[in-house]
Amino acid sequence: MIENLKKNFEVFNKKFVSWPNNNRDKFFKKFIEMGFPNNKIEDWKFSNFNNFVSKNFKSLNTNVENLTSFKFDKYINSFDHNKIIFVNGEFKDKNFGNEEKEKFVFSDIKGFGEHLRLTIEDECENSLNLLNNAFYLDGLSLIIEKEYEFKKPLIIYNVFKTKKENNFFNQKIKIKVGKNSKIDILLLNINLGSEPIFLNIYNNLSLKKDAVLKLYSSSDLGEKDIFYNFNNVDVLSNSIFENFIFSNSANFYKNEIKCSLNEKYSSSFINGAIFSQNEQTHEIKSRIEHNDENTKSYQKIKSVLDKKSKSVFQGKIFVDSKAQKTDGYQLSNAILLDEESEFDSKPELEIYADDVKCSHGSTSGNLDEDAIFYLMSRGLSEFEAKKLLIKGFLNDAVETITNNEIRKYFSSKIESKINEYR
Amino acid sequence: MLNIQNLSAKVDKKSILNGLSLNIKPGEVHAIMGPNGSGKSTLANILSGKKGYDISGKINYENNDLFNLAIEERAHKGLFLAFQYPLEIPGVNTSNFLKTSLNAIRKSKGQKELDALEFLKIVKQKASELKIDEKILNRQLNVGFSGGEKKKNEILQMSLIEPKMAILDETDSGLDIDALKIVAKGVNALRSKERSFLIITHYQRLLDYIKPDFVHVLMDGKIAKSGCMELAEELEKAGYEKI
Repeated sequence: MIENLKKNFEVFNKKFVSWPNNNRDKFFKKFIEMGFPNNKIEDWKFSNFNNFVSKNFKSLNTNVENLTSFKFDKYINSFDHNKIIFVNGEFKDKNFGNEEKEKFVFSDIKGFGEHLRLTIEDECENSLNLLNNAFYLDGLSLIIEKEYEFKKPLIIYNVFKTKKENNFFNQKIKIKVGKNSKIDILLLNINLGSEPIFLNIYNNLSLKKDAVLKLYSSSDLGEKDIFYNFNNVDVLSNSIFENFIFSNSANFYKNEIKCSLNEKYSSSFINGAIFSQNEQTHEIKSRIEHNDENTKSYQKIKSVLDKKSKSVFQGKIFVDSKAQKTDGYQLSNAILLDEESEFDSKPELEIYADDVKCSHGSTSGNLDEDAIFYLMSRGLSEFEAKKLLIKGFLNDAVETITNNEIRKYFSSKIESKINEYR
Repeated sequence: MLNIQNLSAKVDKKSILNGLSLNIKPGEVHAIMGPNGSGKSTLANILSGKKGYDISGKINYENNDLFNLAIEERAHKGLFLAFQYPLEIPGVNTSNFLKTSLNAIRKSKGQKELDALEFLKIVKQKASELKIDEKILNRQLNVGFSGGEKKKNEILQMSLIEPKMAILDETDSGLDIDALKIVAKGVNALRSKERSFLIITHYQRLLDYIKPDFVHVLMDGKIAKSGCMELAEELEKAGYEKI
């Protein structure tokens, strides 16, 4: 796998030699030293990433000369929204029809030719981030300088239907929400084809003063797909970062988030619903850093596991010595529907201030037999009763979504996934 | 309607019911009173199909061997249990649950399922008849409900489902007088020649509003005495010890 990746990189990198500041080879070299993450690394101790790559892929290819495209128009029609469309990893189209266009700057990374100024120190502990730095092909940069609230949510359609020659996609999403600005974003990753893909996205999100960024993520990926989604979030004073992910597809999906609450009264809400099945492994890893006074973080992760699947929650709340009056909350609940599924939870608090309120809790168990009995006594079959309970359990996380349209979207999406459940 | 013959039940080798027999005909309202631990709730649980009991004896319900019917089939055939402790189910909207339940029962009878609007009209009407605050419909099922609200919600479900045979397991315990009247009203509104009730209670006061046809005293797992309303009044004065 690694040998093939080296050959692929050599060809790939030739395309970018002319870019300013191209230092992809440094990152690639560093990646080669580290290799794919394995379970000897603490952050990956619950799943050996290496195995997922070798199990699902014979080789990983980003073939720039041979990118394929297709027309995508299956947009969500239940609410008005702005759109950005990526097809097979490349930017294709955008529509900001609802907005005042002088208030923000959008560019796709490839078209703009902007080479993000990356240094070798950037995420050098994380080999998948290094791989992203070496192989990223496209992505987007959205900058709202100041004083602008988006009227409608933005949906990023990231769709794939590809061939074996192109199955490895690295993207970068950079969003800056300036002072007094606000945007709600839904990121949809959809694999419409039958070839498995390895999708590696790096999100760089920054919120200035009095800003609001709501970022929601949902995926319809294939049963052999791998998806690694890394978020680096910086939040300044009085700003709110809200995040929700629904994880139901892909063979391996890890959503990792590092969120730094750097100034007073900044807050983050990171919530998720996982419904894993069919030997899937789904992970959520968070690190919330409280770096100043009166910062607040809230996390609620609900997981339902079935059919030999595995789900993992690793959540850390870090409180700096100057971050007095921190309010940190973290809860993870899991329901296991079969004997062979596995839930791993690693909640951590690391606190250096003495006047803080931090709590964490983690539970796992079966569906409540008495609740099933209650529902059956009202005429529901055992299966219907279970489905209603699963829906209710996951809904508890969906309820945290503060954008009404998007909450309805997730609620009905989860409902239809559960209705498909056998 | 419901004929219980020589019913015995054990949990972990401990006898709870010891040869209980009871025959309820269509249109009759029976009350069962009894001290704590006499087996009242066990009887209700067994009738609705709860697992975990070693059972002997026979129960015939509407010409079916009740033990051959799954929990939901009992509900489909018109058997309803108002729970002593209705369960809190987070994340499940009350109105949505009521609709799912009603439609599951309608479907089993070959009736058309109600759409959201049709259902809402019916449920709002029932709630207003029973003086139940509509707001509970939009809350999560029984979550954070007061004791009274939970019991009223059970009665609302009973009114929607219109069962043939309703069993109320200590629905009156912990209720104030206004809530008690709502429960009685729910029962009385449904009383008919075809419908029967089994009301399990500690106290006479609910029976003052419902006026059962028969009153039975359950002690040590069987019916110790049967009579009419006077028996309940007697018990209220003298307690169970005199039986």
